[in-house]
Amino acid sequence: MRAMKKTKRLMPRKLVARTNPQSIAAEQYRTIRTNINFSTPGLDSKVILFTSASKEEGKSTTAANMAIVFAETGKKVLLIDADMRRPTLYRTFELGNNIGLSNLLIRKGKLKQSVKASGIQNLDLLMSGQIPPNPAELLESDALDELIEEMRGLYDYVLFDSPPILSVTDSKILANKCDGTVLVVNTGKSEKISVEKARDSLATAKAFILGVVLNNYPMNKENYYYHNYDSQFS
Amino acid sequence: MESTFNLNKFLKAMQKRKALIILVTLAFIVFSAVASYTIMKPVYKATTQILINQNTVSNQDFDSLDIDTNLQLIGTYNVIIKSPAILANVIEELQLKETVQTLTERTTVNNIESSQVVSLSVEDSSMEQAVLIANTTAKVFQEEIQQMMKVDNVSILAAAETTGSPKPIRPDPIFNMAIGAIVGLVFGMGITLILEQLNTTVRSEEDIEEMAGLRILGVVSPVDSNLKMEKPLNLTDRLEKDLHAGNEKDKKVNAAKIGGSY
Repeated sequence: MRAMKKTKRLMPRKLVARTNPQSIAAEQYRTIRTNINFSTPGLDSKVILFTSASKEEGKSTTAANMAIVFAETGKKVLLIDADMRRPTLYRTFELGNNIGLSNLLIRKGKLKQSVKASGIQNLDLLMSGQIPPNPAELLESDALDELIEEMRGLYDYVLFDSPPILSVTDSKILANKCDGTVLVVNTGKSEKISVEKARDSLATAKAFILGVVLNNYPMNKENYYYHNYDSQFS
Repeated sequence: MESTFNLNKFLKAMQKRKALIILVTLAFIVFSAVASYTIMKPVYKATTQILINQNTVSNQDFDSLDIDTNLQLIGTYNVIIKSPAILANVIEELQLKETVQTLTERTTVNNIESSQVVSLSVEDSSMEQAVLIANTTAKVFQEEIQQMMKVDNVSILAAAETTGSPKPIRPDPIFNMAIGAIVGLVFGMGITLILEQLNTTVRSEEDIEEMAGLRILGVVSPVDSNLKMEKPLNLTDRLEKDLHAGNEKDKKVNAAKIGGSY
């Protein structure tokens, strides 16, 4: 019970799509959801990678909220913390990190037993697992391909949260295996040159770039319009 | 990366910082106005007109050749008026505390539209003084020229006089403010351009759209930290599953300690 209280206190800041479904930010995530769906037509299950050029641009927050808005549509969603160097998902959802992706990649355990319920309908979570010494090698193994295939059979949306693309090679490997990549950019903080480098890295990895999400974007009149429009009819 | 000058981008930057540009422009206008009205000393100008006629022989055969000769002579007079021969006398007569050099600088001699009328202007910080110097110079010139050129046909057409409320010719506040506005505008635009060049971060959707191969999926605005939770989290789902997953929460602390870095 103590853990539950803690959860209630910590979650609101990050999982705004869940805690404030009527907020401007939640509506903005839904807009992104629509745009992603239009960008990937004809796919039964979509495997999407969330990455950024540098750290702390909002990858994990974006991935988590996107997972929530995808789950809202009634589709089965799996959110995976593929950042095996600095995992955050277990903290966001206040869960343990002892079993996760790294275990599955060394073929220890089964997918079905490793995923955790998020507490949100239709949304399952896969933590990063114990931090391995060789995350890049693990991701390059065939085990990941097999795992993604298995996930496709169980979920409509598989979302990967990953390390920054300019720091380590993990995201490049993942980007190559996903259907599409979303580049998260921190407005006013991310350097243009870094974003271009990230784009070039993804191009080298033969990744399909779905587009850019501008995080921390300053409010403007349009946002207020959406907000008013929304609250008027709810 | 983007080194070419993009007019569209430039205009957008200007629009974005129009407040700054207007502010800088206004600051320059105010500065010009304050400088014009308080710091700069007013300068007055007095003008006297002199008619020079070179007809010494007779009044007959007033042909064009004579006029040409006259005009050439007027050029000579112009120089003479500003020469020490005249101005030194003026200074002496009026007991002025200045040199011929400074007085020459304040004196202008113009030939009015190729006529035989010469206008003599003197600038001074006091209107009375300007009038006095202008008229004295004209008078001295009239006297001296008779000995110099052996002519006595210089007449004063219109003596300089003090009007009720003389207007200074300098500073011209309106003109100065106009100059201030232009300088301020250019300055503000310069600042904007520099700021634009200095900031290398992504700040707008346009910044992304300029990069080939990238498009905007959407934007996310920061969440107000005072925002109240509209909907409490329903955790029943999780509690049920966690029972099956085993006693994981106890191990959570260990996992949290393992921190990696890039």
